[in-house]
Amino acid sequence: MLQPSEQAPSFSLPQLDGGVRRLEQGKPALLVFFETDCPTCQLAIPYLNRLADALGGEAEVIGISQDGEAPTRQLVEQLPIRFPVALDHGLAVSREYDPQAVPTLFLIDGDGKIARTSVAFDKAELNAIATEMLREPFELAGKHDGAPATKPGCVARHLEPQTEGELAPTLNLYAERGSRASRFELGEDVDPYEFCYQAGFADPLPVIPPTVERVERMLGATTLAPDQIVARIPPNYGMATVEKIAANAVMAGCQPEMMRVLVPLIKAICDERFNIHGVQATTHFAAPLVIVNGPVRHELDFACRSNVFSNVARANSTLGRALQLILTNIGGARPGELDMSTLGNPGKFSYCIAENEEENPWEPLHTEFGFDRNQSAVTLFAAEPPHGVSEHNAREGRTVLKAISRALATVFSYRFCVGWEAVVALCPEHVKTLNRSGFTKASIREFLFENTGIPVKEYEDDGGEGTQYAQLYQRATINGEECYRKFADPSQLKLVVTGGTAGKFSAVIGSWATGPRGSQMVCYPIESVPRAVASESPSAGH
Amino acid sequence: MKTILINPLDETPRAVGAPAPRLDSLAGKTIGLLDISKWGGSFFLDHLERLLKERYGVEQVVRAMKPTFTKPAPAEVIDRLKQADCAAVIEALAD
Repeated sequence: MLQPSEQAPSFSLPQLDGGVRRLEQGKPALLVFFETDCPTCQLAIPYLNRLADALGGEAEVIGISQDGEAPTRQLVEQLPIRFPVALDHGLAVSREYDPQAVPTLFLIDGDGKIARTSVAFDKAELNAIATEMLREPFELAGKHDGAPATKPGCVARHLEPQTEGELAPTLNLYAERGSRASRFELGEDVDPYEFCYQAGFADPLPVIPPTVERVERMLGATTLAPDQIVARIPPNYGMATVEKIAANAVMAGCQPEMMRVLVPLIKAICDERFNIHGVQATTHFAAPLVIVNGPVRHELDFACRSNVFSNVARANSTLGRALQLILTNIGGARPGELDMSTLGNPGKFSYCIAENEEENPWEPLHTEFGFDRNQSAVTLFAAEPPHGVSEHNAREGRTVLKAISRALATVFSYRFCVGWEAVVALCPEHVKTLNRSGFTKASIREFLFENTGIPVKEYEDDGGEGTQYAQLYQRATINGEECYRKFADPSQLKLVVTGGTAGKFSAVIGSWATGPRGSQMVCYPIESVPRAVASESPSAGH
Repeated sequence: MKTILINPLDETPRAVGAPAPRLDSLAGKTIGLLDISKWGGSFFLDHLERLLKERYGVEQVVRAMKPTFTKPAPAEVIDRLKQADCAAVIEALAD
């Protein structure tokens, strides 16, 4: 929006009563941008009528309607409006002056400069404008005339998305650029934190209000244009522009550098293989678990040691929260609406870990997806909450793995086999035991696959009720007992080394439906930090 | 100082469609039954098919099934129901 002391752009607009309306040189003018269906505009206009009457010919009030001729004429006759009104067809002048809300007043002095602006309805500002234009104290708006002292306006038409009626364009799934986000101007008596909650921006915890300044700082950390569409987020296929992602990242408490991770993360979550549509809409527990690998862990201070699943680091907590805010605010899967999960998942506040690669004697997770160890990456898994495996007495790796296999048998439900996967979060102490016993990642997976089964006799309860799928399962003898194999293949088990170096606590994290008929894990690269501008600048004088 | 916030919510422009007109009666109509492929769907839809024919005089029932309940119906499934010229389609699931 143009600000005081800037030159007012000239214009030439058709006047409602015929002729053309321009700014007259040497004559102060008050431009009034309005919409015909805006209650605040309708509240303000009678005051401006009185100002126009008081001004005589020395200065003028010019209305600029952001609507078409018919509704403007109707409003002019009904209210009525007694000052001249011009029609901003195509909203070109609106874009130049760029008022964020209506009504917005621009007071232009005799030299063609903007002397003052006023947004929405504000009695004190109306009085100040009248006093300045009439060059003597003038009370245009009394304290006790029944109108409020201030009233917020409506979003200006040129910033408004077209959302209804036949004029709204059909969803264009291939456009690379979207629209800029609209803005909310809060009155001084409005608490921004409470506003964010009431306006539905937040999860139920307070968010950082996404002010223009904060969002701009976030946008400053990326070279992408604010209106660039990163992805369309199911189930509503809302356009996640860089600006919308940045606004949600601000609310989650992210630092601007996190844009580097958020952009590939949002692309990954919308990868068809991950099937975020189903993950968001299921009644199951599933929530996307974010696993961070590579140098970015240290560059952005992700926690990968003790308390890795909990409230230990700003990076983990805010990245996980930003993802959830984006999924609900842009994707539309709000709890209680499109997300009708029966019990939910505490991970829907934030669910982000990093691998403790320093304590991993084998290859880290992202290398299994083909990335180099030094490439930062983010992996997604549609996950249940973690299920702890405490094993403190085992001296041998195989004993640790047998304890884990008992927990794996309960993934999804004890007697349900084949269709599920699991992430096994191995703690460093268990990893040491396994490594000492000569296990590799491949042999761990193989051992867990071979040793995780459900005894066939478990399917004999209640006349076999609820076990009709058992005929599809593979039989195997495990520990001398006839069992059904829990998993179809060792590749259904993913291993991540994470957590603190003290304590023999690993965890099994069950999946939602998997494979092409459910959600598949995806791993996306995170670009490395661009070389600092300082290091590239010429070393003048040396 | 006034606070200006960037709208973080979805503002994707969308065309708004009107709901299809309701049927006055089911008698003599062709009705589609779409099973989302959950475990108990066929029990429920078999019962529904019987009721539609016996109690409401539905002429014909066309059955279709999504390949997975986790994803929207693919075009082939929608096309099959379209080609059957159903007066209405009931999508249902049962666990």
